[in-house]
Amino acid sequence: MPWYTSLFQWFSGLFFSKTADISIVGLQASGKTSFVNVIGSGQWSEEVVPTVGFNVRNVRKGNVTLKIWDIAGQPKFRSTWERYCSGVDVIIFIVDSHDKEKFDAAQFELHQLLSHQTLAAVPLLVLGNKNDLEDHASVNELIKALELDKIRNRAVSCYSCSMKSQHNLDIVLQWLTKHSH
Amino acid sequence: MAFASKKDDEGLSAYYNNKTTVIQEARVFNDSPISPRKCRALLTRVVHLLYIGESFSTQEATTLFFGTTKLFQHKDSALRQMVYLAIKELAGTAEDVIMVTSSIMKDMQPNSEVIYRPNSIRALCRIIDPSMAQGVERFFKAAIVDKTPSISSAALVSSYHLFPNAKDVVKRWANEAQEAVNAKSSTSLFGSSTGGGYLSGWGGSAGQQSSGYQAVPSASYITQYHALGLLYLIRQQDRMAVTKMIQQLGGGKTGAGTTLKNPMALCMLIRYAAKVLEEDPNVQKQMLDLLDGWLKHKSDMVNLEAARVICEMKNVPTFQLMRAIGVLQLFLSSPKATLRFAATRTLAALAVTHPSNVASVNVDLENLISDSNRSVATYAITTLLKTGNEASVDRLMKQISGFMNDISDEFKVIVVDAIRSLCLKFPDKHVSMLSFLSGVLRDEGGYDFKRAVVEAIFEMVKYISACREQALSHLCEFIEDCEFTKLSVRILHLLGIEGPKAPQPTKYIRFIYNRVVLENATVRAAAVGSLAKFGLNSNDAGLKKSIDTLLNRCLDDVDDEVRDRAAMYLRLFRESFLADTYVKEESVFSLDALESKLVSYVNDPSASIVPFDASSIPKISRAQAAAEVARPSSLETVGVPAKKEAAATPQLSAVEAQSAYIQQLKEVPELATYGEVLGSSKPAQLTESETEYQVSCVKHTFAEHIVFQFNVSNTIPDTVLEQVAVVMQPLTESNLTEDFIIPLPSLSSTTSPGIVYVSFTRDSPEEYASGSFQCVLKFISKEVDPATGEPEEDGYEDEYQLEEVELGAGDYIIPTYVTFSSEWDRLRGGASATETFSLSAMESLKAACDSIIEILNMQALGGTEDPSSTSVHTLQLAGLVVGAGGAGKALVRCRMTYSKAQGVTLELSVRAEKEEACSLVVSAIGG
Repeated sequence: MPWYTSLFQWFSGLFFSKTADISIVGLQASGKTSFVNVIGSGQWSEEVVPTVGFNVRNVRKGNVTLKIWDIAGQPKFRSTWERYCSGVDVIIFIVDSHDKEKFDAAQFELHQLLSHQTLAAVPLLVLGNKNDLEDHASVNELIKALELDKIRNRAVSCYSCSMKSQHNLDIVLQWLTKHSH
Repeated sequence: MAFASKKDDEGLSAYYNNKTTVIQEARVFNDSPISPRKCRALLTRVVHLLYIGESFSTQEATTLFFGTTKLFQHKDSALRQMVYLAIKELAGTAEDVIMVTSSIMKDMQPNSEVIYRPNSIRALCRIIDPSMAQGVERFFKAAIVDKTPSISSAALVSSYHLFPNAKDVVKRWANEAQEAVNAKSSTSLFGSSTGGGYLSGWGGSAGQQSSGYQAVPSASYITQYHALGLLYLIRQQDRMAVTKMIQQLGGGKTGAGTTLKNPMALCMLIRYAAKVLEEDPNVQKQMLDLLDGWLKHKSDMVNLEAARVICEMKNVPTFQLMRAIGVLQLFLSSPKATLRFAATRTLAALAVTHPSNVASVNVDLENLISDSNRSVATYAITTLLKTGNEASVDRLMKQISGFMNDISDEFKVIVVDAIRSLCLKFPDKHVSMLSFLSGVLRDEGGYDFKRAVVEAIFEMVKYISACREQALSHLCEFIEDCEFTKLSVRILHLLGIEGPKAPQPTKYIRFIYNRVVLENATVRAAAVGSLAKFGLNSNDAGLKKSIDTLLNRCLDDVDDEVRDRAAMYLRLFRESFLADTYVKEESVFSLDALESKLVSYVNDPSASIVPFDASSIPKISRAQAAAEVARPSSLETVGVPAKKEAAATPQLSAVEAQSAYIQQLKEVPELATYGEVLGSSKPAQLTESETEYQVSCVKHTFAEHIVFQFNVSNTIPDTVLEQVAVVMQPLTESNLTEDFIIPLPSLSSTTSPGIVYVSFTRDSPEEYASGSFQCVLKFISKEVDPATGEPEEDGYEDEYQLEEVELGAGDYIIPTYVTFSSEWDRLRGGASATETFSLSAMESLKAACDSIIEILNMQALGGTEDPSSTSVHTLQLAGLVVGAGGAGKALVRCRMTYSKAQGVTLELSVRAEKEEACSLVVSAIGG
């Protein structure tokens, strides 16, 4: 791009930019890494290697810079979620809304995570992923299954979305922009 | 680095580099945005703390670790490198380190920046667990053959570290490692690093360091060194492959054709060659040719290593040795201190075995006596002491005393050991040496140094009678002001033994009694023992009386042990026959046997109603006991690398083996009811040593049973033997009934050797059953599928003929030590037998002695196992005969004559506590 556009961006970044630290957690194979890929580069792929540990990625959307911590969801990594969620602006919890058998486990892990003192008042965004599949749970079902109504003292939102069809991702981004500073 | 500038200020640096401060400041990891400069400085401090030996608790390390991982968000390359260093160091203690795997793997990708890749590879091998090695295989294979040397090296070194935990996976990388050895470096300039600093890794394990990113220019070919290390690690079990590798990389007879350009790699190759040489004498010729070529290599390091290996080799031809010495001689006049040091050190070690050859470089060594480097001078002098003649000793001693104070304790010990061996070589020089030793004894020094001096003086006392009195008085003087309890106790013991024999024993009493007054309890107790020996061993009535008085005073001591000893010795004074058993007794219990008996006595609750029976414990003479505990005299090991000592560890002594068997048999439930093992034989080989299946047999005697233990080894890697059993068929009437066989369910080459037990009941336990057995090894042989590692379904039954097993008198006898003449007289009234045999087949008295000892399994006493005359000899033997009713002593006197015509004529006299024992011995020789 020509040099003056980048100069302009730098200026506008100086005056209008917002940033947000985001941690993405959730059970394995719920679509966390896909979310980062779709948000970051707009690419969706059927084959995503399971994350070992975590990945970190900086994504710029408009005048918002998102620093995204994508944490692995396999059981052996769940104890480390708290370490990467403390100090962030938003926690995103992704659920596979098609895999209803795992809702109990997801509910347990979510509430386990939120019970940490260090994470008090951090806004929570719950995404029911894979709504392009038949027979997925609706937002209301998710709220019930994950007992989101019992969460107190923090902003909680829940959207149903799909990384594959990119459905509803625009409102997710809006929500994130709202919570950045 | 921020802290480096403040390091001069000691107090501030202590605060600044304090663990707590560092952990508190770790908050900067969570700052937003991150300051790479601050984080890097902090990480440096963390790593610095770890390097100086500070340890973090698991929780602290984990917190720091996770803080560090958050820095992956920043792209600063210097910070990222520091992050990797910190991760490597913290990986050992922190938990959940696996979290960074993804982040590290991202940096390992070929499209990642070159500066990240080596670091990330090195960090990865600390993070992943063995099960993940398979997953990174592709990366590693590619990285090993990468064109960039730093990446290739990193991958090789990491593979080296992964190897112990993931052998199978890493083994598959051998081809890549081979390629890395042969790789032509693209930016090839010559000028390999032949600097002086390479000796830092001289300890022997130079191949195992991998700390940090080494920005080595590719011209050094360091990758070859790493690749060679990995290749060897993969192949080390296979001697043929190693030999082939050495020949291939050695580059032919002159060494010119080698592809190895890195001198360190060549050094490693030379060490491998040395190892192969040691194990397989057949390749000596080829290896020596190679070594000879390396002596002429252009790198000093390689020359030195080759010379060292030749010097340490056994049975090396003299002309070859002289060539190696010639190379070392050149180094002696080198301007580099490291070279001089290495050369003198090698020569010092060589002088122990080949003093005459080393003597040829004495002129050069003389010049080094005044070397400014004290370590070089020390080695030069000790070498000269070993090679020099009597005339030069005094001069050298004077030289040494000149700088004794300048050298470290470690070198002082080397000097003292050299003097010690010198004393024995030139006993006439004892005056100057003793005065030297007593002089250094007064100097400052640590325990090791003082012990070396004291031991040297002990040795002089032992072997050079002329200086005994003088030496003892030096020791007396030393204990007046000795801070080491151990040494005081040893000296007091020696005084107790040697003092009474001196012309004027009284003069030592004062020194010893001073200890009773002034020292701690341990030394006081030793002093009491020492005093008492003067009283007991002296014929002077006046002396006895004074000792009596002194010991009476000790009865008021505050320490129990001191009072007890005093009381005991006072009693011995009154009842002198007791003294014979407690002070003058020449034999002691074999400590290992005594310990295991006592342990089983204490553990067995039912045994506590009867007193402990010590009669079945074999005894050994004091000389034997001393030989057992003696540490290898340091004269032989001066300056020789430590690996040699490890190789020389002696086989388990018979008694230790016995204790091990008892433990092992106890763990077999079927044999638990048999009671105590009365005796175990030495293992006897039932197969040739190079066969497919190797079997050895140990016989265990119980009160009512005989148990045969077969140690079976399967040497074929791809087969598994199942249901392994040994079938024993008595060849003669043996009075034994077979109870059961405990077979092995499965035996592979990795689980070998396994144990098969065969148990027999003794039909009449009061008799000593004997006989021979035909043995057949039976098993089902199954091939192992190399792909799965599982044995195949179908196998075939097979059997394997073993040699016969004999059960004889020796299996009921345990060797023991007694004082023959007195014991022989004591048993006059017991069972006895005398018979005469004609052993016409025997070719000498020595052969007859050996076979009698072997048959009877008894202890030969007083060195009688070696006949001094060729025609007449008396062999004295003692043993404990074990049986159902407890053990009984048996003594044997064999009077033998030898003539060419008739062979050996033997008159066998046996005296034993029991009649059966007596007939057992006679029948064993007669049978």
